[in-house]
Order: sequence, then C-alpha cells, then structure tokens
Amino acid sequence: MKELYLIAVFCLVFISAGAQNRYFTKDAKINFNSSTPIEDIIAESNQATTFIDLDKNELVFSVLTTSFKFRRALMEEHFNENYMESAKNKDFSKAKFSGKITSPIDWKSEKAVVVEVKGDLSMHGVTKPITIKANITPGKTKILANAEFKVTPEDFSINIPSAVRDKIAKEVTIKVDAIYAPYQQ
Amino acid sequence: MANRKVLRIIVWLFVIGLIFAFSAIYYVFNMPRRNIAKENAAFTMTAKQLISDFKKDENGANAKYLDKVIAVSGEIKGIRTLDNHSMVFSLEDAMEGVSCTIDSADVVRNTSKLSQLKGGETATFKGRCSGMLMDIQIINSSPE
Repeated sequence: MKELYLIAVFCLVFISAGAQNRYFTKDAKINFNSSTPIEDIIAESNQATTFIDLDKNELVFSVLTTSFKFRRALMEEHFNENYMESAKNKDFSKAKFSGKITSPIDWKSEKAVVVEVKGDLSMHGVTKPITIKANITPGKTKILANAEFKVTPEDFSINIPSAVRDKIAKEVTIKVDAIYAPYQQ
Repeated sequence: MANRKVLRIIVWLFVIGLIFAFSAIYYVFNMPRRNIAKENAAFTMTAKQLISDFKKDENGANAKYLDKVIAVSGEIKGIRTLDNHSMVFSLEDAMEGVSCTIDSADVVRNTSKLSQLKGGETATFKGRCSGMLMDIQIINSSPE
C-alpha cells in the first residue's frame, strides 16, 4: 500500500514537471495612438504572437509591422515605407518585446493584479530597455493581460521629416491586449 | 483689350490647374485600399514551399514575398474565429505553418465557401504576405 502511494506521488511529480507551464496566443491586439491637435493617427494589429512562461515569469511579444491597419491606406504605406522601413530586413519587419515580471504574482489566484514587466523592446533595428506596468488576470483555462505604455519614435531611430513632425505625437501610446490559452506542444 | 484677354486666359488656366492639383492631392490622400481578392497572385505555391523558403533565408524570402499577393495551398491544421469576426486558417502546422487571416467583411462574402472547409482538408487562400513571426502570415486573404 505504501509503495503504491509512493508511486502515485512520484507519478504526480513527474507529470507536473513534464507539463510545460506556458500560455500563448497568436491573436493578441496591439494598437498605437499618436494624437496631436492636427491629426489623430490610430493603427491596430490583431496578429501579435505572445507567450508567458509561468515558471520563469517571462513574457515575449512579437508583431509584424506590416500587419497594422490604419484608417487611410496612405498612412499604412507611409508607416511601412518611410518610418518603419519594414522591407529592409527581418529586424525591421517586426517589433518585439521580451521581459520578466519583476513584481510578485500568484498564478493560481485568478485575481487581477498590476505588475511591473522589465525588458527590451526592439523595432526598426533598435533595442531599448523598457519597464511596463501591466494588468494580469491569471486563470487555469485563460490568462488575461493588458498594458499601456509610451514610446518616443526618435529613440528607435525613426526619422520623421520636420514638415510632418507636428502631425505625429512626440510620444506614441501603445496598448496591448491579450487573452492567453494553455500551450501544448 | 488684347492684354485683358490674355490675363483672363491665364487666370482660368491657373484656376483649372489648382482644381487638378487639389483633386490629385485629395485622391492620393484618400487612395483606396488594395483589393487583394481582385488582384492576380504574384506567386502560386504550396504552404510547405513557402515555409521552407522563409525558414531557409528570412531576409531573402521577405525581399521576394513581402507585401506580394500569394495563392498558397496546404492542409488545414487549425481554424479559429477572432472576436472581431475575422477568421484564421492555419495551413500545415497550427503554430509554425502559414496563417491566413480573412477579414470579417471577406468572411461574410465567402460564408458558404468557408463553412465547407474542415481541418485535414487541403485548401487554397490568396492574400498579402506580411512576413514571418513563428508562422508565415498571409493577411487580407480569401478562399480560392
């Protein structure tokens, strides 16, 4: 009887160690908003891929810059050709964030918490450290996460001609919204 | 008298030129979106070929396929509907295959065709290649 109990415990430990504690989605939403008195520019992509590793408290996000939709087709063209230079090479065609959740989080709680995520944001071939505040709601079948932060285009060597500088905000607000599901390989 | 006539013509020409210039600016500013469904595919290929091209040389594949219209066919490994009513069909692999996103308006336009597609079947989608993350993304697609 005792042996059976030991085997059961051993199996349980083995199963939980074998299970990958990763959650993902390929349909995360990212939108950005540049608002000036002259013009509001809003763009959105529904095709960001993101993973959370619950054991390491690590999080990665990536999105193709060509997947952003703007109100005007011309804005989309300018965004990709003049500013992000998406076709230049593979580092220019996507934006990436990888970071670690530095505040305590209990993945079993199912209660919404505000956490700090420290990491690196890469786009337009430039990588910068960034700290983001995020809302995370843990759950067994799904994890909700959203965040809002600001970036300055010039920090990422994105050149904006002086003729249109007034039409683009100094700081662009980025919003991220993801619903994660368990990842099974 | 002759001078006044010349002046009149100049003024009219100027006004007409101005109208042309403004309508050109207006058109460019509000230029219509590409209608991918009506464009001819620049490449017709299998999802497997596209995946191997991207895995082999991402920069080279980007130069060749980025923003181009591709008709890609492969085995459906995943179908999902997003909360904005667009649909994603994954070809060959649910994680690292080719993901064809169909915008909600095109989902409505192709309801009967799409409802017949099931996992395990081979299907062809035509759309604009937006590059590779884990998967290769084909956006603004429609079923062929």
